[in-house]
Amino acid sequence: MTLAKTESTTTTDQSGAVGRRRFGGWLSAENQVLVWCLLWVLAAIPLTPGLTSSSNISNIFSNLLPLLIVATGQTIVLISGGIDLSVTSVMALSSVTGALVMSGDQGLLGGSAWAAPAGVAAMLLTGSLIGWLNGAAITRLRMPPFIVTLTTMMFFSGLAIWLTKSKTIYNLPASFIAIGSGGLLFLPYALLVTILLVVAAHVLLSRSLAGRWLYACGHNLRAAEISGVPVGRTITRAYVSSGFCAAVAAVLYTSRLETGSPVLGQRLLLDVIGAAVIGGASLFGGRGKVAWTIYGALFLTLIDNTLNLAGQSHFTIMMVKGGVILLAALLDVLRRR
Amino acid sequence: MKRWVFAAFLSLGLIAACNQGGGPNRMTIGVSFETLQTEYWVAGFEAIKAELKKRDIAMLEAIADGDANRQLEQVNNFIARGVDGIIAVPKDAKTIIPMIRAANAANIPIVLYNRPADKTDAKSVAVVADNFAITKATVEYMCEQAKKSGGKYKALLLMGDLGDINAIGRRDGFEEAVKACSDIVEVVSRVPTEWNQEKAQAGVTNALQAHPDINFIFTSSDFLFPSIVSALRNAGKYKKIGEEGHVLMGGFDGDATAYQMLRDGYLDADGVQNVYFESEAAVQAVLDLKAGKPVAEVIRDPGFVIHQGNLKEMSARMWGAQVKNR
Repeated sequence: MTLAKTESTTTTDQSGAVGRRRFGGWLSAENQVLVWCLLWVLAAIPLTPGLTSSSNISNIFSNLLPLLIVATGQTIVLISGGIDLSVTSVMALSSVTGALVMSGDQGLLGGSAWAAPAGVAAMLLTGSLIGWLNGAAITRLRMPPFIVTLTTMMFFSGLAIWLTKSKTIYNLPASFIAIGSGGLLFLPYALLVTILLVVAAHVLLSRSLAGRWLYACGHNLRAAEISGVPVGRTITRAYVSSGFCAAVAAVLYTSRLETGSPVLGQRLLLDVIGAAVIGGASLFGGRGKVAWTIYGALFLTLIDNTLNLAGQSHFTIMMVKGGVILLAALLDVLRRR
Repeated sequence: MKRWVFAAFLSLGLIAACNQGGGPNRMTIGVSFETLQTEYWVAGFEAIKAELKKRDIAMLEAIADGDANRQLEQVNNFIARGVDGIIAVPKDAKTIIPMIRAANAANIPIVLYNRPADKTDAKSVAVVADNFAITKATVEYMCEQAKKSGGKYKALLLMGDLGDINAIGRRDGFEEAVKACSDIVEVVSRVPTEWNQEKAQAGVTNALQAHPDINFIFTSSDFLFPSIVSALRNAGKYKKIGEEGHVLMGGFDGDATAYQMLRDGYLDADGVQNVYFESEAAVQAVLDLKAGKPVAEVIRDPGFVIHQGNLKEMSARMWGAQVKNR
């Protein structure tokens, strides 16, 4: 009886120790940014009135979702060993293209029942096409991702401004605007779209062969090629995914702003790359997870929201965000050594 | 574990060090500016800050950095915080509409500073300069000077972003004034700058090449003066008033560059937006709306024209002169 009790205690102790180790590991490595988020909120609660009010929590989510979508696409590209600087111009051009199709003022299908679905399709197609162009230039012409996406950023930003003569496009269909403000039962459409996309990206990265190929390309391109990984196709798909995600984010941003804008998301690039890098995606490729990017995007959104609510100046917020992103990039470099 | 405790204290310290929030019963107004890129917006921002401080009202500030979506998020943050009122400089007349709607839904008064919204059923108050009247008066003064000189003038107009209602008002004020003196002033070039200095400089350079006899320039905003001066210098046409070959020049805003050019004798006239009037009116409108008092949908700043003839007496009211003298 005594022996049985001792054995049972030992087993409980061991399983407890394993549990604690697992929990500790969960805290310290993979999810440390989530812990940072929690600490940040705990520290900010006494100093930031209204931080935990239901309206502010819904506000934080509303700010987080489109950023998370673009950052998810960016994570896929970063894992492949590249970088996509063109996401903001994809958003701007998608916004303008969709609005030019849908707008009741000057849209091709303005007033038609098909305006909203056709507009959304045009936006998604625009994003995917630019992504494919980026991927093709990088894989077929062997051009560096940095310069390819930098130049496409300039080109497509210019195109968006030229198409609209730098005017915003208004009078979008109510069914399109509902994407940004409406919902199904108690769940906003924006949340449903984000969940769908983020889960799809997670499954792609962690449960599919295409995901394995992506990590292989990011770790060592040459080795991946020799091992039979279709490198060109894999990398091109990563950029198409990024373009598609940026276009989905453009749908959310455009609908909630009720306006097609040629400068949509112009200042968002650092937040997008920052969210992925803070989460733990490596700027050198081969490392990153969708869950980590969720934490990174959440952390950036929390910084914005809490400092704004605490009455901080624009410059303070920029400096804090810049510092956090720099710290994350530094950690990435240290991890590689 | 030590690391997390350190991180917690670091976060706490960082926020505490930055915190400037007001007391629990103090009124709070959220101020959202689209940008602080030009002197005019900085002066307006500082004037609102001073006005709120004078009335012991706490201020939450947010700068959208030219991004309408960021401005939407910031205004939503204000609403979530439950501010007593919002003063906003919209990115443009259309993107502000969902923000006004959100403020209306939360029953928070919203006042637009210097840039009104497009036609909408959403309720807001706009405090705006009378762009048309101020520009018209400025250009009329320039026409008088042109008449006095007895010569014929070829005019160049630098227009702003024509999606901005302020830019349209200034263009129309210019056109109305030159129509009345069309016997001596002929408009030979209209440059669409889209509020961009590089475009302004390229436009003025091209116009001076196509029409080397341009001798009458009006800019829809003073922040474009450096581009104009640079193009005029390159063409050898930057001369003081009274010197041979002087180009009659006028502008709009009343910034520090314009004040310096007036003092140095290069600028003939400038239409001044009264930043102090606009800031006070915006804060008062928020308070009146909050108290349920009736407020006009548009509050107009009549502004004034400053020129070589009234420079001494009017410079005390010119915000650019105050910035320069600080």
